[in-house]
Amino acid sequence: MGDQLKFVQLEMMVVALGLLVLIADLAMAPSRRRLLGYLSAAGLFVVFLLSFRDGYTALVNESTEAFFNSRYKVDGLALFFKRFFLIAGIFVLVFAVDFSERLRSGMAEYYSFIVFALSGMMFAASANDFSMLFVSIELITITFYILVSFQRHRLHSLEAGVKYLILGAVSSAFMIYGIALVFGVAGSLQFDDLHAQQSELIQSKVFLFGMLFLFAGLAFKISAFPFQVWAPDVYQGAPTPTTAFLAVGSKAAGFVLLIRLLVAAVPEVTAEWTSVLLVISALTILYGNLCALPQRNLKRLLAYSGIANAGYLLMGIVAQSEEGTVAILYYLAGYLFTVMAAFMIINLLTKEGEGEDISCLSGLSKRSPFLAFAMTLAAVSLAGIPPLAGFFGKFLLVKSVATEAFGNTCFFVLLAVAVFGVVVSIYYYFGIVRTIFWGRRKADEPTPPPVTIGLPVRIVLGCCVAAMLYLGLLPNKPVKWAETAAKVGVTSK
Amino acid sequence: MESILFNIFAVLAVLSALLVVVNPLSRSPVTSAMFLVTTMISISGLFVLLNAYFLAAVQILVYAGAVMVLFLFVIMLLDVQETARRKLRIVSLVMGFVAVGALFGVYKSSVEATYEDVEAVDEVVVGSTEALARGLFSKDNGFILPFEIVSILLLVAMIGAILLSKKELR
Repeated sequence: MGDQLKFVQLEMMVVALGLLVLIADLAMAPSRRRLLGYLSAAGLFVVFLLSFRDGYTALVNESTEAFFNSRYKVDGLALFFKRFFLIAGIFVLVFAVDFSERLRSGMAEYYSFIVFALSGMMFAASANDFSMLFVSIELITITFYILVSFQRHRLHSLEAGVKYLILGAVSSAFMIYGIALVFGVAGSLQFDDLHAQQSELIQSKVFLFGMLFLFAGLAFKISAFPFQVWAPDVYQGAPTPTTAFLAVGSKAAGFVLLIRLLVAAVPEVTAEWTSVLLVISALTILYGNLCALPQRNLKRLLAYSGIANAGYLLMGIVAQSEEGTVAILYYLAGYLFTVMAAFMIINLLTKEGEGEDISCLSGLSKRSPFLAFAMTLAAVSLAGIPPLAGFFGKFLLVKSVATEAFGNTCFFVLLAVAVFGVVVSIYYYFGIVRTIFWGRRKADEPTPPPVTIGLPVRIVLGCCVAAMLYLGLLPNKPVKWAETAAKVGVTSK
Repeated sequence: MESILFNIFAVLAVLSALLVVVNPLSRSPVTSAMFLVTTMISISGLFVLLNAYFLAAVQILVYAGAVMVLFLFVIMLLDVQETARRKLRIVSLVMGFVAVGALFGVYKSSVEATYEDVEAVDEVVVGSTEALARGLFSKDNGFILPFEIVSILLLVAMIGAILLSKKELR
């Protein structure tokens, strides 16, 4: 047992940090709670640094048998996503401290819940077994039910929480039913066993039926087309840091599990379902982009753009190649920094109770050139215009589908839809940029004062901007990292 | 003998589950809760028939006992009145039936396609408490890690429930 604990050392540290925050809150004066948030962000940063320790990275090469009977996997993919989630967690915590005045109650609990959700995501990154998959997904989702409805005094927040709770519970029910059916046929919960028997299992209709239900449950998490209805309302109603974490963390957790399941464990099923996945991907792109057009609320707009991005990311799964997985990882990394920057700026601007209408951006270039610059970069990157992170990610995704396209004309339809989606998205993202630089306030309105930004937020925003530019301009090294991470295999026993 | 018992328990479980949701005689939530108890007990009977004695006992202790008492507490504390008969929209009713029917059809055909000839299973597995504990906690082969994660999940759920229901906003 003791020798197995080293595989979960990072997660144990994160969970311990969450508990520590809860306890430290009792001893701290309420006025110093902000410090608690920064301290926990610092703690996560230490864990992030520890993930580069030789002793930890060496585990990747160790025999996988020892990992809790291969229910748990510490490989390149897991390592990539663990770091990804840790960065997201640090950013969200800094963000949450900035937001904490508006929470009114339970700030320390808010920080610790972010940390617990993060631990769930880190477990999900290593899940190699249906029991781990379900438990970690539930840890993430149940924490998010509370994080979403945290502003109890706001009706919107509660409404979003209830909606997310009901739909999330239904999707979990689908998932557990699917797991039961798959277990009934395969007789094992482990992905490795599924991989070994996949060519027999694929003959079984019950198995496919179960996999379909499982896919439905995961598609809810990434908000893919027929399961996307919750996203706009929940994104809009939730406290902004929660929305940012939901958009980045929850989605990425869904994708790491999809990669583990569809790409690594049962590629034959994915091959059989190419057309289904293709149609879902195309419809998600279309739905997200077209519905984003009339939106005036910034959080809602980003929710629809998040749906569209889930569609783009699914293209990487449709491609069913290592290249596709690399593209997903790269795109997610870019998406993390872009979306985090966008939500943080929205939060800064709406602090004075202006509402989240797009008009709150008008005149931003005069109020705060730095924020205007960062927001423009985020919008341009999301639209997929070179030379930013979003462009290169989309390019890799399109390329991965295009290389597989010969021999399958349906793939060209998907490519056409993707390009059409990008063109549509440029329209609404440039609506944002236009408002920043040329938006006019009403004549009788006083010009708002320059925005004040705290140092930690400034640092995080600076990191986001730097990362967006770095991922877009110098993609060589990050692509290498993604390539080493994307070599997901399944150990055969 | 066993198949007779199975039929009794199965029919009882399905019938009372139906009566939880649609009861033509009563709209009282307490009646629904009582029928839920019947469902739980019949399901625990099914567990006994499957030789899963521990699960059967837990089913009665936890679900039919603790959980149901909690349900009744909540119903009585909130003083839920008999809800007025809701008007069912014919469109949603038809859509619901079509969706459920289609899902059932797909399920049925997939089961039929998979199990054309099911062989009788001779092997009898007895789900004793010890076997269950070994399955859960054994360090080489068990579900120890997911089990531990569930404890974090329960902690989060507990704190969350207190936070969201606390009277005073501080």
